[in-house]
Amino acid sequence: MAKKVIKRKASDNPYHHPDFHTALNYGIDYLYNSLGKEAVREYLVQFAGAYYSPLKKALRDKGLTAIKEHYEKIYEIENAVFDMHLSDEELIVHLSESPAVMHMKAGGHQVSSVYNETVATVNREICKRTAYDCELVDYNEENGGYKLRFYKRKL
Amino acid sequence: MISCTEFIPAYSELFKFIEAKEDKKAVLGFWEYLSDAFLTNLKDLVVEQGIEGCWTYWSKTLSEEAADFTMELDDEKGEFSIDMHACPSKGRLLEYNHIEPYRDYCEHCDLLYRRVLEPLGYKYELDRSRTDFATCRLTVSKIKP
Repeated sequence: MAKKVIKRKASDNPYHHPDFHTALNYGIDYLYNSLGKEAVREYLVQFAGAYYSPLKKALRDKGLTAIKEHYEKIYEIENAVFDMHLSDEELIVHLSESPAVMHMKAGGHQVSSVYNETVATVNREICKRTAYDCELVDYNEENGGYKLRFYKRKL
Repeated sequence: MISCTEFIPAYSELFKFIEAKEDKKAVLGFWEYLSDAFLTNLKDLVVEQGIEGCWTYWSKTLSEEAADFTMELDDEKGEFSIDMHACPSKGRLLEYNHIEPYRDYCEHCDLLYRRVLEPLGYKYELDRSRTDFATCRLTVSKIKP
């Protein structure tokens, strides 16, 4: 067989590597099995506190619109089926099924029993020290779909 | 949901977290676990296709990661290489102003793939001397009997 060569520029392809969901799932499960559920939460708080600090600032500055815009962008990248309802007081986010969970299952990978913490803990941390809070109202273990409610804290 | 486009900082923070909770040895232990559990697709491809399995595996992953690279396969010589001109993962980590990359971030690429390929009879080399600029060179060659 002749020698094969390919050259690619970053701009040649969109950035979407769904196997990263699987790698994160293994990371979560490793922590859970080696250090326990609290360590999973502690890690996700650390990650969310660092990585989503610009989103937290936007939440303080623009309110729930910032969260809505963030998830619209994320779900579009992930080709997710979702709907959102925004009012003055709350934002309801409904993800029909998680592209992450469905990708892992399609690849034959076991989804960690604490994978839902990537939704619950991360979004609570984004809201921490803002005027808002978040609760995971519903989570479907089968397909990773969920209903998240962001709301204004009562003073 | 954490998007797959947000995975790299999550990964880097995970390494930092494990090292802070335990030590560097525990981070290496996690990489070994990840290699065994997660890279079964690379292993299966190389078992099935020989060194061309490397080509098949990285053609897909690096395209999905929107990497800037040159990849070569010389099947007759049993040589495969990737010149990573701009690693999308390290590049992103270096671009963030609000995230400090894990000190030994690029080391995971050395351990994860080496652990799959060496037991299959391949020499695995990764030049990490320029990872501060998000570039590296990976070579895989068939060890001749």
